[in-house]
This record gives sequence, C-alpha cells and structure tokens, in this order.
Amino acid sequence: MSEKTEMSERMREFQGEVDNLKVGGGNANPERMWRKLAIVGMAAAIVIEVIAYFGSHGTTNALSQRDYVIVALLGLTIGVIATGIFVVTSLTRYLRYWLIRLIYQERESTDRVVDAVTR
Amino acid sequence: MNATPLLQLSGVRAGYGIIDVLHGVDLRVMPGEVFALLGPNGAGKSTTLRVCSGQIVPSSGTLRVGGREVNGVASDALARAGICLIPEGRGVFPNLTVNDNLRMWTFSGTPYKAVADKAFHYFPRLHERRNQLAGTLSGGEQQMLALSRAISTDPVLLMLDDLSMGLAPLIVEHLYERVGELARDGLSILVVEQFAQAVLGVATRAAIMLHGRIDRVGSPKELASEAASAYLGGDAPRAPSTVPHHSHHSHDEGPTP
Repeated sequence: MSEKTEMSERMREFQGEVDNLKVGGGNANPERMWRKLAIVGMAAAIVIEVIAYFGSHGTTNALSQRDYVIVALLGLTIGVIATGIFVVTSLTRYLRYWLIRLIYQERESTDRVVDAVTR
Repeated sequence: MNATPLLQLSGVRAGYGIIDVLHGVDLRVMPGEVFALLGPNGAGKSTTLRVCSGQIVPSSGTLRVGGREVNGVASDALARAGICLIPEGRGVFPNLTVNDNLRMWTFSGTPYKAVADKAFHYFPRLHERRNQLAGTLSGGEQQMLALSRAISTDPVLLMLDDLSMGLAPLIVEHLYERVGELARDGLSILVVEQFAQAVLGVATRAAIMLHGRIDRVGSPKELASEAASAYLGGDAPRAPSTVPHHSHHSHDEGPTP
C-alpha cells in the first residue's frame, strides 16, 4: 500500500515536472533550413548586385556611387557565404545517400550469404 | 490505472537528416506497463527510442509525455523528469571499479548509499564484484551495472534498447527476471528487442515493428507466434522457437529512405 502511495506521489511529481518542461518545438531538420537559407541568400545576392549595378549606373554623384559599391560588396559577401553553405549541405546530402547505398549493399550481401548457408 | 498514457507517439515521422526512418509510428505506453517493441534490424526500433528520449525531433507527428505534447524538448530535461534510456552498448566506465561507477551515478544528487543500496538490492552480483573493474565484468554484469545507473535516478519510464545483445540466453533470462521485478515495483518499461522470446514472458503488451511502422500490436501470447514469421516476411505464423534469420546481420539499424 505504502509503495503504491509512493508511486502515485512519484507520478504526481513526474506530472509536475512534465508540465514545467520548456518545449521549444524543436527543429527536426536544421539541414533543410540551412539549405533553404542558402538558396534564398544566393538569390538575394543576385538581386542586390543588380540593384547596385543599375543604381551606380544611373547616377553621376560619386558619393552615391560609392554607397552602391558598398551595397555590391555586401551582396558579394552574402553570395559567397550562401554558396559555401549550399555546397556543404549538398555534399553532406550526397555522402549520406552514398552511405545508405553501402548499407543496403552490405545488407543484400548478408541476405545472400544467409540464404546460401541455410539453403 | 491512470487513463493518460505515460508516453504516446502519434503519426511520428523521424530520421536522420533528410532521410526518414520512421514512417508514421503510433505507440502508447500506459503507467505500470511493460511494453515490448519487437522487430528485425533496420525496423526503426532504436530510432523510436531516440525520439521517445528527445534525442531526435519528429519531422511530423507528436510525442506526448504524461499527456503533454513535448516535440523538441531537450533530452536531458526529459531524463530529469523521469524518462530514462539505457542505450545499446551499456555505457559503463570500464576503467573504474563497480563501486566507483556507482559513485558516478550520484551525479543526479542521489546519495551514494541510496544508489548502492538500490543497485545491490536488485543485483546482488554487483555487491560481490564491487571492487572489480567494470571493464573486466561479464556482459551480463555490465548490463546490470547500466540498469543500476538507470534505477538510481528513480525513473518513471525505463527504456531498454536491445538488453540481450551479445549475451548468453541464460544471462538474458536472468536480466529479464530483474526487469520483471522492477515492473512489479511499479516502474513502467518500454523494451526494444530483436529476440521476441526473450522478453515476451515479462511484457504485458507488445508490438511488432517493420520498415519504420508498427505492424501489429497485441498481447505477448498473440505476438509470440507471429514475430518470427513477421521478421521473415511470411504470412503463416511459425513456431515460437524459430530464430529470425535477420539476426545474422551484423550492422545496426539502417535508414529506410
């Protein structure tokens, strides 16, 4: 009886701890998010470069042109970083598929061996 | 019995990176229950435990603990609350003695005496081996030490991943007797096993998992005859003593894209 009461006390304590848990929702697949971010970054870099080119081309004011040069450099930086992230995530994805292929090959070969041994 | 499940997975899809291993898992563990999750290599059993312990966040579906949705909760927070996982490979400190390992279990704030009393109560063999290096213990004794770590934290739900891996049948039987004793003392247990026969004597409910999905749920008796045929992909139930051929696989569970 006392054990049961103790257990229900532990259950109440557990329920209290669960109710107080901080649940962030989490991110099931950060890699996918980085990939999307990289694609958006590369597209944004192209847009920024185009804006900077036409902005600089459309003015004779040297100060404004220098501002557009800074914008263009910013776009270039974003582009380089985004491309880097894209390459890394793409390579990871490719290597993971390669690993899965090896796992499946090994599994099939094991099945063949087991089949041959048990036949 | 409380009607709220202690642990519940609803339509959970999860995996590694962009590759899903679980394709919509539904699972419920009630308080006081010993639930056996059976299945061959690569079925997604260990991944399911990783989702339950908060190590993998589901890409869709929900993980509920005590009725509350906890998708994305930190695994250490779940462990502190009382959801305890013993992973494959035991994870004891091989260069420390049994006593020193038990001392390490006091990290959660439980005094050494309480940890040791509990460990020696459930596993008297550890008392005999208390001055021996953990690395020199037999596989079964190491598993006992890992179990003692789990129970020292006073868990509400204990999750065991392939307890029988690499152990002799007699040792496995002895270990599951202890697991049954823990369950009788009120602990809820979710146990993942490849060898159905090892666990069905202890389990109150069981499920067969295949290709990242729960294939069948039922009483251990019902599933005992079905497990082997399910592993082999056959329709007709086979004798309970049939050993699944998939157990020959040496590699761990692989993803199912």
